[in-house]
Amino acid sequence: MTDPPPLRPRCASLFSRACLATGVLVWLTACGQKEGSGLERVQRAGVLRWGADAQGGEPYAMEDPEHPGQYRGFEVELADALGRELGVRAELVQNDWSSLIPTLERGGSFDVAMNGMEITPTRAGRVLFTRPYYLFHLQLMARRDDTTVTGLESLRGRRVGTLSNSQAWELLRGSGAQAIPYEGVQEPYIDLEQGRLDAVLMDDIIAQRYGLQRPGLRVVRDVAEGYYAIAVRPGEEDLRQALDEALGRVARSGELREIFRRWGIDTAAEQRMVEWTEAQTREVLSHTSTSRLDWNQVLLFLQASLVTLGVSVGAMVLAIPLGMALALGRLYGPKWMGVFTTTYVELLRGTPVLLQLYVLYYGLAGVLRLGPLSAAILGLGLNYAAYEAEVYRAGLLAVPRGQMEAALALGMPTRLALRRVVLPQAFRVALPGTTNDFIALLKDSSLVSVISVVELTKRMTITAVDVRSWLLPGALCAVLYLAMSYPLSRLARMLEAKLERA
Amino acid sequence: MIEVRGLTKRYADRTVLDGISATFARGEVVALVGPSGGGKSTLLRCLNGLESFDGGSVRVGDCALEPGRGQAQASRLWDIRRRVGFVFQQWHLFAHRTALGNVIEAPVHVKGQGVKEATERARELLAKMGMSHREGAYPAELSGGEQQRVAIARALAMEPEALLLDEPTSALDPERVADLVSLLERLRDDGLTLVTVTHEMRFARALASRVLVLHGGHIIEEGKPDQVLAHPQHERTRAFLGLGNTAAN
Repeated sequence: MTDPPPLRPRCASLFSRACLATGVLVWLTACGQKEGSGLERVQRAGVLRWGADAQGGEPYAMEDPEHPGQYRGFEVELADALGRELGVRAELVQNDWSSLIPTLERGGSFDVAMNGMEITPTRAGRVLFTRPYYLFHLQLMARRDDTTVTGLESLRGRRVGTLSNSQAWELLRGSGAQAIPYEGVQEPYIDLEQGRLDAVLMDDIIAQRYGLQRPGLRVVRDVAEGYYAIAVRPGEEDLRQALDEALGRVARSGELREIFRRWGIDTAAEQRMVEWTEAQTREVLSHTSTSRLDWNQVLLFLQASLVTLGVSVGAMVLAIPLGMALALGRLYGPKWMGVFTTTYVELLRGTPVLLQLYVLYYGLAGVLRLGPLSAAILGLGLNYAAYEAEVYRAGLLAVPRGQMEAALALGMPTRLALRRVVLPQAFRVALPGTTNDFIALLKDSSLVSVISVVELTKRMTITAVDVRSWLLPGALCAVLYLAMSYPLSRLARMLEAKLERA
Repeated sequence: MIEVRGLTKRYADRTVLDGISATFARGEVVALVGPSGGGKSTLLRCLNGLESFDGGSVRVGDCALEPGRGQAQASRLWDIRRRVGFVFQQWHLFAHRTALGNVIEAPVHVKGQGVKEATERARELLAKMGMSHREGAYPAELSGGEQQRVAIARALAMEPEALLLDEPTSALDPERVADLVSLLERLRDDGLTLVTVTHEMRFARALASRVLVLHGGHIIEEGKPDQVLAHPQHERTRAFLGLGNTAAN
């Protein structure tokens, strides 16, 4: 590969790579659909690999601070007990929580998923579930000073935070409340305390550990109960059966509640786990649903596109004048302003925008109480101003000095000369760069989902998990992004052509 | 009309203007000549405040510039620049405006004239420069001579009392130089003071009523062109003209 390769062989190699990728996909899909071999595979390997997200933290499964690389938590102990029952070793495989089910479905790197995985109709329609191992309640929390929150009925149209694609998520969507999706368990309670949410609905284990420690919050009440169970790959009925029986033995022997006691999550209600019957399992698992990409979903996509567009336009409207001011300050301002603008540009350009959004929204929450949308626009705007400043500085430097001198020689004050003579010409040079940045911003705006704004990419992920496919939602998402960016670049090109003559 | 006293300008290790004093009377045409680096262009740029200086003063009518760049100085600078026009060697027409746009820019935005009024006046000026047919053209579409005439019209649109020209012949064919001379003669006849830096002795002779020879930051000789250029008194002038004549022929 020393000489630039001729066009044809390069195309061919791209084509063969595409073929290879397709082949791998087909093979992976085939793996996922193979029938009945689960238990055999686990026993042959001598290890039960279970998927979990150690970032979910206490008390489920987390990295042992004293022994890095090892895990602890009630699910770790349960997995060890189940492994023992099956005569194999149990091994935690780290995987992002929100993609545990999709990964399992596609026959990923683990045999089962066990990580506070609630039995929901959508999930039950996608993977197999064992009998439940833990009974939990969905606990509604609100601020102490907000007495208007009395239950789900009181939250119609109001903002309620929870984990996306969880049981609470599905419950909220049916209740008329505005469900706000989060990835972590701390952030919703921070937002509730800051008044950015009206309530948080989460599993009681989470509410007790992460919500109740905040003095400004109170438990409203339990609104529903649910079960954690182990998710097994579709088609591996034998493994499900074996785990089911193993769970039954661990529960009846008293070991299960012993584990719960050690982790402080045992209540009298857990006796139902001990007395659980197969009929109850059938009853719990009888509600399955598979959603499809319907017109309502498409409508939600369009709505999310508007959010993406709004956030991007808002941020750019902020970034352009601010970037211009920074560039002018650096080139024409006094020395201290040059130092300030250089520092601003290096700081904002040299640190991840994700970090900046986090600091702005959660870090500064005590002093600067911003709504998610305003924080998103402000955060992206401040960040992009740093890039715009450099684009405009390049533009300003590209205007020959003589233009400024000629304007001054006609008696124009510096400001007027900048405005009438230098800036219009700098704009011409900067236009392609600004267009480029705006298109980049359209896509970067997907980062604002970390501060609970549901924009196009977040909508796509939520829907993809719902409808069990990334293909259609992904394509729709891509089409919508293109529909926003392409007309924009056409418009910019027309403007450039118009300015070209001058 | 323009009076310079003890004008001094230094760069870090070099004195470019060393106490220059000169007066430019109304309707006079003065050519600044001399070897490169002698200070001609710097003096010209000082006359309308494009260049700051370290000592002495520049007075235009009742408005005086002193060393340094204070806030009070700024408003005097604008005053002086509105009264003294400047035509750059490279013209520096505003690249994003048409010929007409270049001419009306300052009257509209500096003087606050109405666009209609300014356009009428600009068309008259362009006609006077023989540029009526090119008023819609952008600078990039104009030849050097055409750009120069638009630049002169642009400066005249501010109705200055004096016009400063930096090397106006450097980009012109010999025959265009003759056109420029007759154009500038007409402006002189209208009562405009003209100060021009030039290397072209025939141009200086044809146009100027007085010649100043600058060398090493001093005026080493001055007088009527016939006298200074034909019978120079200073040996530096003779040396320079020896070279200058060769270049001019």
